[in-house]
Amino acid sequence: MTPKNNIIIGVVVALLVAASYNVEANPIEFAEGLPNLGIVLEELLLVEPKHVPVALWAMFETVQMAFIGTAVGIAIALPLSLLAARNLNSKYVYAPIRALLAAIRTFPSILWAILFVIMVGLGPFAGVLAIIMYTVGFVAKLQYEVIETIDADPMDAASSIGVSKWQLIRYVVIPESASHLLGQVLYMFDYNLRQTSILGLVGAGGIGFYIINYIKFFEYGKAAIFMIVVLITVLIVDWTSVKIRDKYIVKSQHGMEVTAKLN
Amino acid sequence: MTRAPLPSLISTLKIIQINDISASYDSKSLVLDHVNLSIDRGTNYAIVGPSGSGKSTLLKLMNGMMIPSSGTIKIDYVAPNMKDKKFKKMMHTIGYIPQNLGLVKNITVLENVLIGSLPRLNKIQSFFKRFPEDEITEAKKIIKQVGLSGKEERKSYMLSGGEKRRVAIARAFMQKPTILLADEIVSELDRATAKEIMNLIADAQKRINLTAIMIHHDMKLALEYANRVAVIKGGHKILEIGVEGDTIVDFQTGDMTTEEIMSMYSDDSEK
Repeated sequence: MTPKNNIIIGVVVALLVAASYNVEANPIEFAEGLPNLGIVLEELLLVEPKHVPVALWAMFETVQMAFIGTAVGIAIALPLSLLAARNLNSKYVYAPIRALLAAIRTFPSILWAILFVIMVGLGPFAGVLAIIMYTVGFVAKLQYEVIETIDADPMDAASSIGVSKWQLIRYVVIPESASHLLGQVLYMFDYNLRQTSILGLVGAGGIGFYIINYIKFFEYGKAAIFMIVVLITVLIVDWTSVKIRDKYIVKSQHGMEVTAKLN
Repeated sequence: MTRAPLPSLISTLKIIQINDISASYDSKSLVLDHVNLSIDRGTNYAIVGPSGSGKSTLLKLMNGMMIPSSGTIKIDYVAPNMKDKKFKKMMHTIGYIPQNLGLVKNITVLENVLIGSLPRLNKIQSFFKRFPEDEITEAKKIIKQVGLSGKEERKSYMLSGGEKRRVAIARAFMQKPTILLADEIVSELDRATAKEIMNLIADAQKRINLTAIMIHHDMKLALEYANRVAVIKGGHKILEIGVEGDTIVDFQTGDMTTEEIMSMYSDDSEK
């Protein structure tokens, strides 16, 4: 431990204490509040089982919203990513597209949801639109970064045959970047599902709408049932995407490793 | 009275003429420094030299990916330039295999080979990936020629180093090439495999009047297959020799002996 490190640690600790004081973050209150969770647990046991199908139905709606949002968002993001890639376009094309994408990304999805609730009214459609916007902003960025890092060699080989730009995209750029797309689709769906679960807080549909209302009326037991459904669904989706990843993505990378040794 | 037919420009012996060209990437140091070359139609022309000597640049000048900073280069009397419409048409029949081969990893052997036929497709066919039957038949025939039959549907990342080179050659053959430019495509292979690959190209040269310009690392291999060998060092052509069978028949420039040339590369040749 050098004196310099001690000073840094001292400063960080001091900032931590000062900031905690400012935001009234008090560990003692946290400890005292723990038994309150017992109330939730108690109420959970008192909830009638008839609420479970409602929760499942609300979750099904949420999954569908996330699905539409992810699918449509990716469909819009992919052409944009081709336009935003620096190795395929001139500055006058990619710069404005990138600026637009950056602007879309500055809003978290919950803010998009508020905006769309104002536009199209309360309900799941506003949530779907919010998820689409968020997905477009992120997938387009992830994908243009992939496109920019694809191997220049196949591009050189194809363009020296004199193929058109469209052919270059169709036969080289898309196949070379597609292997990363599956991972991004899985990640995005996973992420969007969690997002959609809370969009109901601002009235944009989905299971979050039920949760926020139960909490408002102090029906913690019912709210807990719905939260448990969210938790289980997210775990299932997580587990499924790990399986898909193992099957398709890890395998193909393993394949590349083997051929690399042969070279 | 019969008049001799007018000489057709295209049928002239020289297919590539390089006149006093210099090239550089950053306008400070020259990668190629006043190089002259002329290549006869149908030759197997080898370019040999240490790494960084400007060999690859020479190929990039020939397929129009680079333009020289001074001097002239003509392929069938057209100056190579990717952005030039006339030359872009010629590029359809100039096969270029970069050092790392430039295969698309995640598509099959057949699809990689079909890339060579893309310039012959119309917009609708290429949009829907609808290759005409005869192109597919042709591609399969070429795949068989290069010794990869049965592997048409294999993803190209699953192939061995030698097989990948065969795919790259098949893609170039699919272009119905008049010129083949190949950048050190056999350098990393063991000698037996390298010879198999070289034989494929030699066979094609006999079949169609193909001009092959190949960069080599291995002088022995170059002397074995080439009709002419140019040695490039530090951006200069230090030597050019003509080869017939086992004998060197023509010394163009430079004053090195065969033994000296051989010894320059003997360390690398015994892989």
